[in-house]
Amino acid sequence: MESVQKNITIEDLKQGSDLLFKQIYENNRDKFLNFARKYNLSHEDNIDVYQDAYIIFYNNVMQGKIEEFTSSISTYLFSIGKYLIFDKMKKNNKTINPDFDLSIIREQNELVDASFELDNEALTTEQVLLKKYFGTLGAKCQELLTLFYYRGYTIKDIITATEYTSENVVKSAKSRCMKTLKERINNNSND
Amino acid sequence: MTNQDLLYHYFSNSLTAEQEVVFKKLLETDAEFKAAFEYENSLKKAIKSHESDVLKSKLQEFELELNSKKTHAFNYRYLAVAASIVLLVSWFGYNTFFGTNYSNLYQDNFIEYPNTVYTITRGDDDETLEREAFVAYETQNFETAIEKFDAVSETGAQDYIPFYKAQAYLGLENTHQANVLLKQIVAENTSDFVAESIWYLALIAIKEKDKAQAKTYLNNLISNYNYNQAKAKTLLEELN
Repeated sequence: MESVQKNITIEDLKQGSDLLFKQIYENNRDKFLNFARKYNLSHEDNIDVYQDAYIIFYNNVMQGKIEEFTSSISTYLFSIGKYLIFDKMKKNNKTINPDFDLSIIREQNELVDASFELDNEALTTEQVLLKKYFGTLGAKCQELLTLFYYRGYTIKDIITATEYTSENVVKSAKSRCMKTLKERINNNSND
Repeated sequence: MTNQDLLYHYFSNSLTAEQEVVFKKLLETDAEFKAAFEYENSLKKAIKSHESDVLKSKLQEFELELNSKKTHAFNYRYLAVAASIVLLVSWFGYNTFFGTNYSNLYQDNFIEYPNTVYTITRGDDDETLEREAFVAYETQNFETAIEKFDAVSETGAQDYIPFYKAQAYLGLENTHQANVLLKQIVAENTSDFVAESIWYLALIAIKEKDKAQAKTYLNNLISNYNYNQAKAKTLLEELN
C-alpha cells in the first residue's frame, strides 16, 4: 500500500480518477483514525474529520495549490486533520484537555504548504445562491465552469480535456453558461 | 488586454507578473472591475463548495461500502466460528459425550427377537389368542400383537409373553413401554428371557444415549449370562 502511495503523483491525482480517489481514501483511513483517536472525539466525528481533511487535500491538488508532494499524502492529511479536529472540538464545546498539545497547531503551519486553502470560511448569501443555481445548470455548463473556476484550466486546457474545438467556442459557451446562471438567480430573486 | 482578459488569466492561474500588477491596481481603483472579480470569485467558491459536496457524498458511499465489507467479513468470521463450534460439538458429542453414533449402534444391533416359543404351522387350526398374537408379531403387525399379548396376559399367560410384548413395543419404537416391561422381567428374574431382556435394555439405553446405563447392562450381561457375550463385548468396546 505504502509503495503504491509513494508512486502516486500530483498529475495522477489531477487526472480525476475515481478509483485513485477511493484508493487513497481507503489506504490512509485506518492510519488517520488511529492518529485521531487520541483527541477523544467520537468515531463518527473522526470519520467526518478524515473525509473533510481528504476533501481539502484533494481540492488543493485539483486547484493546483500543490506543485509536488513534499511529504507523504498521510502527512498532508494529518496536518489538515489536526486543524479540523481542533475546530470540531471548539464547535462541540469540548473543553480542551490540559494535556492537549497546542504545539501541534503551530506545527501545522510548518507542515502545510503556505498556499493551502483550508476552506474554513462559510459561504456568503450570494455564494449560497450561486451554488444553488449552479446545480440547476446543464451538465455541459457545470463541467465547463468547473474546469475553469475549480480546476483553473486555461481555454487551451479545456479544449484538450473536452470536445470543444476552438477557443471562441469555449469562450462563447462559457458566456452563455454565466448568463443563464445570472438569469436564474435574478428570476428567483424577483419571485 | 481587456479587463475581461485579466479576469480570465487570473482564474486560469495564468497572469504574468506584469498583468498581476495591473490586476491589483484595478482592484483598488476600479469598482466595476472589483465587483466583476468578486462575482466570479464567489462563483469559484460556490463551485468549489459544490464539488466538495460531491466528493463528500462519494466518501460517504465508500464508508458505507467499507462498513458493509466489514459486516460481511464479520458474518463470515461468525459463520466460520459457528461452523467450528458445530464441528467441535459434533466431534465432542460423538467421541466423548455420546461415545459413538448411538443411533447406528442401536440399528446395527437391534433385531426383534424371533419367536422361539410358539410354533405356528400351516393348517394349524388352534385359534388361540396366543397364536394370533404371535402371527401378528411375526408379520410385524406390532399393534395387533400388543393387543393380543395383553389379552393373553389376562388369561394367565406364559412368562415369555411380557418379553415378546416388549419386543412388539420396540418394533413400534416405543422404547419407554419396552423399557418398563424389560426392567420388570429382570427384576422378577423368573423368566427365561432375563439375559435377553438385559441385552435389549442395553440397546434401549444406547438408543437413549445413556452411555453409563448401557455399560452397566452390558457388563451385567457379560459377567452373569452367556447370551450375546461376544456382541456385548464388542458393543462395550465401542462405547469405551
